[in-house]
Amino acid sequence: MQDFLELAVSASASGCVYGLVALAYLLMIRPTAIINFAVGEWAMVGAFGGFLLLTRAEWPYPVGMAAVLLAMLAVGWATERIAVRPLVERGAPLLAPILALLGMLVVFRESISLAFGPDPHPVPYPFGFGRLELGPLAGSYQSFFIIATTLVVFAGVWLFFERTVAGKAFEAVAINRRAAALMGINLARVTALSFAGGGAAAGLAGLLVSPNISAHYLMGVPLAIQGFTALVIGGVGRVEGALLGGLVLAFAEQLTVRYAPVPAGYAQGVPLVLLMLFLLVRPTGLLRAREARA
Amino acid sequence: MSELARWLAAAVVLAAVPFFLGEYHNDVYRKMLLWVALALGYNFLFGISGQVAFSHFAFYGIGAYSIVILLFQVGLPLPVAILAGVALCALLALAVAIPSTRLEGFYLALATLAFAQLFVVVLNEGGRVTGGTGGLMDYRLPEIFGVRITGPWYTTVIVAVLLGTYAILARLDRSWFGRACRAIRDNPEAAAAMGVNVARTKVIAFTVTSVLAGLAGMAYAFVDNTVNPPIFGLENAFLLLFMVIVGGSGRPAGAVIGAVLLYLLPFVLSPLIGHHHALVFGLLLVGAMLVQPRGLIGVYDALRRRAA
Repeated sequence: MQDFLELAVSASASGCVYGLVALAYLLMIRPTAIINFAVGEWAMVGAFGGFLLLTRAEWPYPVGMAAVLLAMLAVGWATERIAVRPLVERGAPLLAPILALLGMLVVFRESISLAFGPDPHPVPYPFGFGRLELGPLAGSYQSFFIIATTLVVFAGVWLFFERTVAGKAFEAVAINRRAAALMGINLARVTALSFAGGGAAAGLAGLLVSPNISAHYLMGVPLAIQGFTALVIGGVGRVEGALLGGLVLAFAEQLTVRYAPVPAGYAQGVPLVLLMLFLLVRPTGLLRAREARA
Repeated sequence: MSELARWLAAAVVLAAVPFFLGEYHNDVYRKMLLWVALALGYNFLFGISGQVAFSHFAFYGIGAYSIVILLFQVGLPLPVAILAGVALCALLALAVAIPSTRLEGFYLALATLAFAQLFVVVLNEGGRVTGGTGGLMDYRLPEIFGVRITGPWYTTVIVAVLLGTYAILARLDRSWFGRACRAIRDNPEAAAAMGVNVARTKVIAFTVTSVLAGLAGMAYAFVDNTVNPPIFGLENAFLLLFMVIVGGSGRPAGAVIGAVLLYLLPFVLSPLIGHHHALVFGLLLVGAMLVQPRGLIGVYDALRRRAA
């Protein structure tokens, strides 16, 4: 039991990271239907931002974290400007921006590898390395920090969609683009904001996970696959689904490593198998999208 | 010139080239021919049928690994091993394609990407059968009637694979089947209304191109006489997509141009930027999507129209 509770804390922390990446996908898919596979590279850029500001420049953690998030908003916004907007304005098929973003994925990764070289770069823990016990639950400081930050982010995003006019505009675009445009919602602004938000969510995921795994130029694609799997498990319709999907995936991974009688290397296959299964058997995910209310 | 004479001329020219090249350039040349064969198949799958699949390169790997395992671990004779490898590729392709045809657009890409990654995981964890992370090596092409095909003569085999791939795909493209594939790519509902069986056409296109990739992979297995997991990872699956888009998707000539260009580009670029030629590939892809979605062949068409 002790063993399981320990695993539950660390699995929840990884699940929160996957959930943030899934949230980044979701913010962009809902209003635009564009699957941006470059979110993993955004997470990587966020991690390298942490290395630059926190390790090299030794900024205080909250300041550095805020600066990384602002920079990631700009990166998401700029990516939309370069690779998405010209194609949407031209009325290109939906696949065109998705493929252009795949090109951006390679551009991001190779630029970082050109600038920082192939070695992993350390990123500091905000509260140092230590162990926290909360009743029966115990884990590293970083695990609890990841879980708390992610809960705050998801609560904020949930409130944004449920309680603010801007959030309602996002939902309206997601439900019916054409009708939303006719109601006076600025589609271009919603798209730009969704990419900026996606950049920040993915960058935060990268920053949070980087003290454990170090910033490395190849860290993006595995995160992109795990995040997308989390999204497909939870369903693209609801914000809570992204977090739920991330947690389901992380528990499946860690329980397989700990208890299943297979070689550890096969654990890498868990998200892949789950992704295929959910796409084929239950493409709507665990949570159904909310129906449009009259 | 008749059709047959043209094919023979192409075969003779392509097969004669390696006899004038040194060992190193022969190696570069036949890998280029294999990339062209792969790009032609991927062009049919992605450019003509409109299926964004990342599994094409994995089937190249399945072909390469299966021929080596069937020959040297199972101990089958060469012709039987080739047939068994083709059957294996076809079965796996059907197993992937039949459930996946329901997936729209980029969701198919992610399901096939998961399949391709899973293949690499299995290669790494396969123990004695797949040789783990080091792969399989120290094997030689078996003798056929007491003759072992090596050097430039083996390049002839690859020329045959390439021209066979091209012949089959060109035939399919010009047939009823090719038009059905294009109709589904442009508008599946309209195609269904015209009486095209959408699911079956997609499955057949996926299976045929995957088997062709597997055959090219079997030829690849004896180019370096080693197969190992990193070659069959995502990098090359992406590269294949980039080749077809940069060259011009939907046109065989575009696939050939894209494959030759992106295959040779690193050799030109490496003195300038070392191993970072992928950066140029990414920029080329973004540029193609933004400036000329029909790729280099589209640029050529536009120039010719202006000249006329």
